[in-house]
This record gives sequence, structure tokens and C-alpha cells, in this order.
Amino acid sequence: MKIAVLVKQVPDPNAIRFDPRLGDLVPGTPQATNEYDLYAVEAALRMKEQLGGTEVVVASVGTARETLNRCLAIGADRAVAIEGPGLPGDSLATARVLAAWLQREAPDLIWAGQETSDAGTGNVGPQVAALLGIPLVSNVVGWEYRDGVLTLEREIEDGHQFQQVQPPALLCALSALDEPRLPTLRGIMEARRKPSERLSPADLGLTEEDLAPVVSWGGLFLEEEKAAGIVLRDVDPDQAVEQLVAFLQEHRLI
Amino acid sequence: MAQERVLVVVETVGSEARPASLELFGAGRPLADRLGGELVGLVIGSGVQGVAELAGRLGADRVLLADDPALGEPVAARAARAVEAAIAASDPALILLPATTLGRDVAPLLAARYGAAHLVNCLRIEVDDETVRVTRPVYQDKLLTTVRAPRSQRVFVTVRSGAFAVPEAQPGRQVPIQSLAVSLTDADRAVVVTQLVEKPRGMTNLENAPIVVVGGRGLGSAENFRLVEELAAALDGAVGCTRAVSDLGWRPHYEQIGQTGKNVRPKLYLGVGVSGAVQHTVGMRGSDTIVVINRDPNAPLVKMADFAIVGDLFEIVPRLTKRLRELRGTA
Repeated sequence: MKIAVLVKQVPDPNAIRFDPRLGDLVPGTPQATNEYDLYAVEAALRMKEQLGGTEVVVASVGTARETLNRCLAIGADRAVAIEGPGLPGDSLATARVLAAWLQREAPDLIWAGQETSDAGTGNVGPQVAALLGIPLVSNVVGWEYRDGVLTLEREIEDGHQFQQVQPPALLCALSALDEPRLPTLRGIMEARRKPSERLSPADLGLTEEDLAPVVSWGGLFLEEEKAAGIVLRDVDPDQAVEQLVAFLQEHRLI
Repeated sequence: MAQERVLVVVETVGSEARPASLELFGAGRPLADRLGGELVGLVIGSGVQGVAELAGRLGADRVLLADDPALGEPVAARAARAVEAAIAASDPALILLPATTLGRDVAPLLAARYGAAHLVNCLRIEVDDETVRVTRPVYQDKLLTTVRAPRSQRVFVTVRSGAFAVPEAQPGRQVPIQSLAVSLTDADRAVVVTQLVEKPRGMTNLENAPIVVVGGRGLGSAENFRLVEELAAALDGAVGCTRAVSDLGWRPHYEQIGQTGKNVRPKLYLGVGVSGAVQHTVGMRGSDTIVVINRDPNAPLVKMADFAIVGDLFEIVPRLTKRLRELRGTA
């Protein structure tokens, strides 16, 4: 079995700071691997451990050297970086690039994170599934693979839905899956010897027209901050409760 | 512009509309008026004639009804085929879907098929002759941005729950309801739903509850969550928890609010022993009023709060519950 995992390097969500003059993040924000993607990699690695004879290939569109190295260090077999001017573009362009690569690789299964922590469109996974014409199962929080059938536990508004599908399929991971493993020193050493490929859109037969954006993004801005609220400190508990009750009554909340 | 209609996709649960999809009529009406075209409703489900009638009372000019047992359970490929049929039948310029788990699967699936834009999880939507322009949250709700798509082709928009109000129903308003045949391909049937483990009753409406009481790690144990349950009962509110709490197994995951859980926008959010990590606050930032009881004056949630008590929750919560019960005369 061959499993492809789609990963992205994003500004570290715990380190982002906003520069209102630039209307953008402060330049030089540290990068990190998108969290949901690590859960997707972990799921692929566990499938490999369960099934044996499985190759796990990770791929990313845009600059992602640290992310791909990390995936190799925790057990992926091969990494593919697809880079080129304007990549990653909008989600549809990114999906087209990935779909072109996946058509060449023809994996049995594709894992992706549910969405990224930067733009967070959650578009790429479903769009790749649509372009490849394979089933999509999103919001995955559990899986089982038996006798060629995947049973996937999904978290949706109404509860936990179980879906069955036969590969090939594209699965989008949430972080209720198994905790991603950390790289070991040995893993990091081994990663250096693993195959790593760099491709351009032209290598995949894509033209500029294929990658033309369908949306354009404006700058970033902040929602207006709310006025500072009331903070009671060192107030006797009974009094504090009375004041809170008065506040709730005044705001017609009780 | 030849394409001037707005199509609104109404998702259903059983025989009812999912509340977030009814808000689309609030979002869609001004857009259809601006484009000078019809507001067309599409109702997808099984046994949902009543929802089609409701769509008319909420302002749809006509309704397409995709009523089929195969559409009774939320599966992206099937719902996508229904929307595709509705697009063929109504030729809309703009297609609005709720930003639900289903909507956020269906919109990008179709956007890829049509080579069109999908503007995601939008808070505001404006149209002019050339472009659709939306405001949407990015960086896990920490920041906002605007995104534009040209109107030279269809545009898919998913609308964030709570961003628009459901319009007031116009009693007696009746509009044409046309039943829509949806032919599913074998590929559309590739995914089979084998089971739905529903949330226990009373827990299902955390996302719609006007009052939500949330417990965090500060409670110290699963047993101490009794304090949160009692407080929620005294307020007639729903119980929620943070990721730390559900990870520790103190509470079920379906009560989790935040990045990997639910989004809530209640009138009153009351956090008990919740420090307010970003992973949690992204799921509750939209709350109207935020009240916090926490020991740490520097906790991020204390800074976000409209009313915060810095102190020992074990001293404050039982007193608050008792006082609320007295006020309701149920002491």
C-alpha cells in the first residue's frame, strides 16, 4: 500500500504577532508544521505499522523544508517538495498542483489535515478529492482498516458518524486522532538518507493558466477590541457573588 | 450580468432545518436584491417538505426540494450532487452554504469541479457588478481579512454560523416549490454511513444554547465538574469544557469548545477554572457577554472578560449556584 500525506508549513500559531502598519504578520514569524497535518502523518505511520509493506510519502506545495524533514524524521519514507513562483497559490491552484502530482504517484490512500492554522480554508483536501474523483471523508477522529475496507469515525454536529469506504480515498484528520510522535535523534539521522525530491509545476505538466488564482486576498486586520471589563480581586466571596448577580440582572442575562 | 440569482442551500437534520442554514436567508436576501435577481432556496434531506415551506416564509422566491432517502444522512458527495442539480436548474451567480461540516465539504468539492472560488466561513458578504468581497477570520480567528472573487463565474460562499440573523418569518407567504430529481452516480454512493452515535439528549444544543457554562482544568477533577453542572442547571445553560479537560477524560469530547471542538456564541459564556488558551478562545470569542471565575488574574480569559472574579472557584461557584436558585425560587 502507498499512502500520501499532504502537509503544509505555516507561521507558528503560538508565535504569530500582528503588525497593524503592515496589515500583516510581523516579518520573520517562526514557522511550524500545521498541527492537523502532523495528526495525518501519525495516522499514516500507524497504518504502515499495522499493515507492513507500506510506503508513506509526504508532499508539500511551497517552502516546507523543515516540515518535510520532520515528517521524514518521525518515519515517512520519502518527501516531495513542489516549489515554484507564486506557490502556494490560492487553494484551488494548490489543489491542482497536488492532484497533478498524486495522479503520477497513484497512492491507495491520501491523508491531509482538516485545515491549516493560517488561512484555514479547509479547501485543499476536498478540492484534491474532487479533482481526482475519489471519495472524501473529512473530520476524521478514528479509523480502522480491515479486509480492504476503511471504517472512519467522523466528528460532526450531530455526534460521531461512522463511514465506510474502499481505497482510494482522501481523508482529512482532526486532532482527536492519536497524538503525533516526536522525532528521535536516530530518526533525524536516518531522515538525511531518505529520498527527497523537488518538483516544479512545469515538471508536473502544469501551465501558468492552471495556476491562475480565482480569489485575491486583502491585508490582515483586527476586530475592534472590546472595552476592558470589570475585574474583582480580593473581594469577599459572598460580596463577589452579589456583584456578579447584579451584573447579570442588569444585562438581563438572568 | 446574466447570472443574477442567489442560491441558498438549506441543510436538514431529520425533518428540521439545521439552524445555521436558516441564517443564510438573512445573508442572501440583500445580496439577491443588490443583484436584482431571485433568492432561490434548495432544501436537501429526506421527508423535508415542511422545511421547503419554511424557506418560502423566510424569504425565498422559490424553492427547489431535493427530497430523497439517500439525502437523509449528511454525506458530502450526495449533497454535492443535489447542489449541482440545483445549480443546473437555477443558474445562480452566488451559492451560499452554511459553514457546517457538510457545507465546508460540499462547497470546495463543487468549487473544484466548476473551477470556481469558494470564499470560506464568511462574516460579511458584499457584491458589486464585478466582484464578491467577503470578510472572514484567519489565523484561528485571531485576525480578519478580506477576500475577493470576480463575478465572471459562479462563486461559492460558506457563511459562518451566527454571522447573520434568521429573518422574521412571514406567515402565510407561499412560494413555488419544485421537486428536484438528483441522480447519484456509483461514485457518489462509494461512501456508506454505517452508524451515527448521537450525542446524549440535552447535550445536542451546546452550539445554540443562549447560556454556556464551561469548566476548565482548574476544577481539578472529574468529580468537581458537579459544580459546573449545578451552576449550568441553575442558569438553564449548557455545559462545555476545554480541550485539557476532555483530553484528561473528565468530560466527553462533544462538550469541548475551541479549535478542535465546537464554536459557541452564547449570550452568556461563564468560564470556571478556564485560563483561556487560544485553542479554547477561538471557539468562544463571539460570545456576547463573558464572565470568568479564575484564581489567576493574568489568565487570558480574565483579560477578555466583561466580568471577572479573581478568586477560589470552590468558594465562589457553590455560593453563586445557591444564590441563583434562591432567585428562581427553587432553593
